[in-house]
Amino acid sequence: MEKKSLWKKITGSREASLVIVLIVLCALISVKSPAFLSMQNILEILKNNAVIMIMSLGMLCVLLVGGIDISITSTLALAGMSIGMMYKYSVIESTLLGFVIAAAMGAVCGLVIGLVISWGRVLPIIATMGFMYIYRGLAYLVAQDQWAGADALGTFKDFALSNSLGLGLINNVIVITILCYVIFYIVLKWTKFGRNIYAVGSNEEAARISGINVTAVKTAVYTIMGLLAGISGALATSVYASAQPNMQTSKEMDVIAACVIGGVSMNGGRGSVLGALLGALVLSVIAKALPLVGIDAIAQNTVKGVIIVAVIILNVLTQRMMDKTNLEKREM
Amino acid sequence: MAGKSGRTISAVPQKSFMKTILSWEGILLVLFIGINIFCKCISPVYNFTNVLREMPKYLTEIFLLFPMAYILLMGEIDISVGSTVCLSATVACLVSNAGLPFGIVLLAGLATGTVCGMINGFLAVKFRELPTMIITLGTQIVFRGIAEIALGDGGSVSLVNADGFRMIAGKVGPFPYLFFVVIICAVIFTVIAEKRVYGRSLYAIGSNSRTAFYSGIKVNKVLFTAYAVLGFLAGVSALFLISATYGANTTTGKGFEMDAIAMAVFGGISTAGGKGKLTGAVIAAFTIVCLRVGLGQINMNAQVILIILGLLLICSVLLPNISSALHKTRKKA
Amino acid sequence: MKKKILCTILSAVMAASLLAGCGNSKEEQTTASAVEETAAEDQEEAPEADAAGGEEAEPETDAAGGGTYALVTKSAGNPFNEKEAEGFQKAVEAIGGTAIIQHPESATADAQITVIQSLISQNVDSICIAANDENALQAALEEAAAAGIKVCSVDSTVNVASRLVHVNQAGVTEIGQCLVDAVYDITGGEGQWAVLSATSQAANQNAWIESMKEIIESDSKYAGLELVEVAYGDDEPQKSTDVTQALLQNYPDLKVICAPTTVGIAAAAKVLQDQNSSVKLTGLGLPSEMAEYIGDDDAHSCPYMFLWNPIDLGRLGAYTSAALVNGDITGAAGEKFTAGDMGEYEIVTAGDGGTEIILGAPFAFTPENIEEWKVVY
Repeated sequence: MEKKSLWKKITGSREASLVIVLIVLCALISVKSPAFLSMQNILEILKNNAVIMIMSLGMLCVLLVGGIDISITSTLALAGMSIGMMYKYSVIESTLLGFVIAAAMGAVCGLVIGLVISWGRVLPIIATMGFMYIYRGLAYLVAQDQWAGADALGTFKDFALSNSLGLGLINNVIVITILCYVIFYIVLKWTKFGRNIYAVGSNEEAARISGINVTAVKTAVYTIMGLLAGISGALATSVYASAQPNMQTSKEMDVIAACVIGGVSMNGGRGSVLGALLGALVLSVIAKALPLVGIDAIAQNTVKGVIIVAVIILNVLTQRMMDKTNLEKREM
Repeated sequence: MAGKSGRTISAVPQKSFMKTILSWEGILLVLFIGINIFCKCISPVYNFTNVLREMPKYLTEIFLLFPMAYILLMGEIDISVGSTVCLSATVACLVSNAGLPFGIVLLAGLATGTVCGMINGFLAVKFRELPTMIITLGTQIVFRGIAEIALGDGGSVSLVNADGFRMIAGKVGPFPYLFFVVIICAVIFTVIAEKRVYGRSLYAIGSNSRTAFYSGIKVNKVLFTAYAVLGFLAGVSALFLISATYGANTTTGKGFEMDAIAMAVFGGISTAGGKGKLTGAVIAAFTIVCLRVGLGQINMNAQVILIILGLLLICSVLLPNISSALHKTRKKA
Repeated sequence: MKKKILCTILSAVMAASLLAGCGNSKEEQTTASAVEETAAEDQEEAPEADAAGGEEAEPETDAAGGGTYALVTKSAGNPFNEKEAEGFQKAVEAIGGTAIIQHPESATADAQITVIQSLISQNVDSICIAANDENALQAALEEAAAAGIKVCSVDSTVNVASRLVHVNQAGVTEIGQCLVDAVYDITGGEGQWAVLSATSQAANQNAWIESMKEIIESDSKYAGLELVEVAYGDDEPQKSTDVTQALLQNYPDLKVICAPTTVGIAAAAKVLQDQNSSVKLTGLGLPSEMAEYIGDDDAHSCPYMFLWNPIDLGRLGAYTSAALVNGDITGAAGEKFTAGDMGEYEIVTAGDGGTEIILGAPFAFTPENIEEWKVVY
């Protein structure tokens, strides 16, 4: 086998091309605003976008099996709002318990979605659209037109401020994000379950015949998505010291966009944890940078949208180039 | 002619009364009547005049249902249509406020919508490997973003002279003009889907895009046209929306795409493509509208209404699936 | 054949579950919405025919008793709106009417139009609305007026053609003056300051910001104040946080952030307090949300802020609706009426050419009184 040249390696790997996009973006921004690449700023970006980054992992799994989940932010709001109200009325005090309850609620929400999709054979977009309304509505009912503000949350909000998990160096929220990424990297790459997810996404029928319990894998994937959304609900409540029933509305599209930018295929079977991370980072950097470089507030959405479209199209073109080189090789 | 199973298949499909009733469209019709009776029971003011009067707001969304159904039939999706409505409405209002004649205002609104649709169609055709979900997610942000820039700091524009649009909002007896336009659209779109080559090629593409391509259907052309038509009707929808709001703002048309998709799916159109009928979608749309009007009249919590709609959406797909699954297992046994 | 039967049964079940769904959700709804339910049930049992109103209504006078007064808020899930609704409810009960409180499904003008149309069908006596868009409701509200419904706006106004009178929480210039003075006071008379607003189309916020700019220009006393940017957090905690952090980075010499929106001020307060920033904050915020951040020392980010009492605002909205329905007022400038136990109010000319009733001056929340108010709203 001939050794690939460095150039080929870069153009041949989607992740590498994304890294370049990210570097170029950061470079452009730091010319305009030198403070951008400061340690503090980078940590802020990671902390503010932890929710998107964590949910991107779940979305990665969902997209890998060829599904989609647009109910995630509703699950997030339901879980976050519920624990918010529990703290408000002093039902619970402990921070850990809050996370456990939120995660459990999220997992149950995800399980229901998973069952409807895998057992009930409802198409993912429809099932999750329905649950998007249902869970969001429930979040409003739980809230009873109240917020859980900083005062009500007591010590829970200190979690997002302290560095206790990160040995005093890194913020807790970032530690959890990193932890999630490490776990998912290992699970998707080296465990049977992880490989099953890819198998189901690549060819469901083949996976079924080779003895994989497709229904179970699909259910599990949506449960994991729910679990992560639940954890994100607790994180968002802690980071912003406030739980509101409309929290993170329509951010699910950001999460999907992050995955797709990261090269995750919406047809299933293709995508990596690294890709999801890079995609989420690109979006986070854009969100953070737009006000910093002084783009007018009203133009920010347009710029964001154009960048998303551009990166996605760039992805397609890279893919086409890859396919072409592969084809050329085969002819030789 | 004897089929594989040994049964005789006649050339003309038999349509018994029972079969018509038990098709999804039949069930929807029953449900439609049921919901109307239900609403009549819960709300003392639920009557013909009031329902018609409250309807225009919802009718603007039903416009989008027809072309959206076409796109879903092909197994594609468009989630940018709410933003297209917003941009078209913005442009129409700005043109109107610039003092140009009403005809040009209408043209501007329709043209903007069509151009947006054509952009979506172009991207969908040029980058076939990208799911249309993600393309239209991008354009969703961009179209609304452009509208935001056009609207400027206030984020909202109102008509200086609303006379023309007041005319559009007129009524024939209790029926708003809009009602007739929607009915005409419904008939045209249904006939095309059922009887015309274009309509049948939608189903062919939805069942298997590649096979359709090799059997000589110009897939790209059909796809592009469908998006352009959706854009055009988004423009129409925007004009009628202006006639109800005398202006546009950055939230105009928010959520229209989801409502249109939900109506289509409730009407039995599969988002996987190739399955479903427009008649079903139309009945489903009016069923949902009646239910919303009825529940609104008893001042039910808006969030609870959304929960009910969510349940309805899921059940409408889940229950037939379960029933056929049960049927299969029973057959096996 | 079995399949057919099954299908019929299932469709029947679906219809039944729909009915049951409504029933259940009615029971599930708790305190806040229960009130709306009773209001709705009252309506069911006693439609217009019974002028004396529902069971719980205590008709004191024939003129006031039995009316149906509707309040349409900006959106659900916001404590400010909820308190406003609470005040409205109380006042309507006090005059023996029936209150309908409607929160639209989202904070858009479209959703409010749906609600208004529904209220016209129900033939309510008055609609009191906090508008999400100043002009977009005109067609719907004109239709309501044509149906004989008295329309007034509260909190956030609708345009002059759509309303009889606007119930204003405080005069626009009064609020502007308060905020400018606070900025002047906290900066010590000179330095950079920035505004963190809600969305760029929020009518209230835009009016206040405009008024602040005018006040600063018109008086040389404020010449030392430099407004560096008006940023928009869209009333989303995440975006408000990002925007606040961007302000801090872009303007190292920034002294004060003024956030005239309840979501923005809470998000900004958290950012400043977490970073131990020297930048201070003022604006308009809910005491219960802001209690954690209000204090004179460096550990707290907000020395003081303002707001009005949303409960009183709701009550005044209700009394105004009742006065319009009874014909005590027509909405013309110069008219006076008694708003229950709140005393007498006078209708004055508003800045947009229409008329308004002003609740009172904005109230300052300081470290001294915050403990007392945070439990109220």
